[in-house]
Amino acid sequence: MRTKLAVVVAGFGLLLSAVPVWAHHSFAAEFDAKKPVNLRGKITKMEWINPHAWIHMDVTGPDGKVVNWMIEAGTPNTLFRRGFTKDSLAVGTEIVVDGYQAKDGSNRANGRDVTFPDGRKLFLGSSGTGAPYDNDPNAK
Amino acid sequence: MGAVALAITAAFLVPGPVAGQSGSSGAKTYTAPRTPDGQPDLEGIWSNATLTPLERPAELAGKQFFTEEEAAEYEKRILERNNADRRDNQGTDADVALAYNDSWYDRGTKIVPTRRTSLIIDPPDGRIPPLTPEAQKKDALRAEARSKRGPADSWEDRNLGERCLTRGVPKLPSGYNNNFLIVQTPGYVAILQEMIHEVRVIPLDGLPHIAKNIRQWLGDSRGHWEGNTLVVDTTNFRDEVRFTPYNCCGGAGENLHLIERFTRVDANTIDYQYTVDDPARFTRSWTVAVPLTKAPGPIYEYACHEGNYGMAGILAGARAEEKAAAEKEAAKNASR
Repeated sequence: MRTKLAVVVAGFGLLLSAVPVWAHHSFAAEFDAKKPVNLRGKITKMEWINPHAWIHMDVTGPDGKVVNWMIEAGTPNTLFRRGFTKDSLAVGTEIVVDGYQAKDGSNRANGRDVTFPDGRKLFLGSSGTGAPYDNDPNAK
Repeated sequence: MGAVALAITAAFLVPGPVAGQSGSSGAKTYTAPRTPDGQPDLEGIWSNATLTPLERPAELAGKQFFTEEEAAEYEKRILERNNADRRDNQGTDADVALAYNDSWYDRGTKIVPTRRTSLIIDPPDGRIPPLTPEAQKKDALRAEARSKRGPADSWEDRNLGERCLTRGVPKLPSGYNNNFLIVQTPGYVAILQEMIHEVRVIPLDGLPHIAKNIRQWLGDSRGHWEGNTLVVDTTNFRDEVRFTPYNCCGGAGENLHLIERFTRVDANTIDYQYTVDDPARFTRSWTVAVPLTKAPGPIYEYACHEGNYGMAGILAGARAEEKAAAEKEAAKNASR
């Protein structure tokens, strides 16, 4: 049985190599894989809007100049359903954004990985939907 | 003789999951509650989130169902693959395409309860049937015309989801907001799709479809009850529904004739199936089953146009790439 399962599962390899693209729109068309950015700064504004929320933040450069960046995130609906609210991320909170700059060179990036300075991820939560068969493994 | 009888008996006994496509053991005995006017009650908030793909992956050809053990292993692997917190491909378009942290996604964590390896239940191979020669020719002509344009010469080159026009009917499971609100009144059923805040209002009055020349993004739906099953017949789609990003219907457009069936099979499940009927496009009709599972809600507005800065970003990105390419070309010519 174990061998048979291993064979079946090995067959998944090819299918697993495909990368799912599930955001509302193509981020690869908007942001440049060749322009990675790592930004540390304080939140100046949150736009909890659809199809994607945007985090605005001030980033101080090595020359001391402050530049405002816009960071694209996901749909607020998912977070609201998990109990986060518009007060969950206060203006002034310091965050670190690892992402990719917009292709047109403007100060916009996607928040590919957004953390607090101590490395904790923002909005970390359950990946389930809360639906009965999602929560109860025996409810198949 | 005894052996033959045994073989016949065995044929009727295997395998469990095939017997009920809903996968609910209570399907035969369950009586759905009734609305005040006596319709089977489908009301509430439902989710169709699932890890089961529309088509059976080629690697699983011939395998209609997972065993329980295989299903658990498959779910684990798919969740690992989908985990957007992984950064295996940094500096590539594949990494950019995953967009943001995993906490923004909400795809569900399970395959369908039947443990079927595809959402397509008919044909038995779990694949969209071959296209007719006529449809293949049409697709080739369209692809040729499309190849003469860039990826984002205009917003019209982008898909209907990116343009916030529609996610299509039926809306297949995707990365998040896989929720539906069903409301019933005497004479109507309304279905709100959270993505992208689209409402289908389905009359149950028995009247024929609207005139053929009237075309709509969500088509024209008419419903009626067959016992405990709500049957919804939809035609009059706009041809552009071919471009919905999570394509329910294999690229079917104006000739799409959709037949949907909603049957409440237990307190937490609607057995939802749809059949794609488009003889001009497909060599046969085909059927998909995606269970709708009771979801806790609430359902939220998804005002797609409200902040669709992404579209401007995509167009600006394409212009920047064209400019860079033109400058490179000019520099090459100047150095000759």
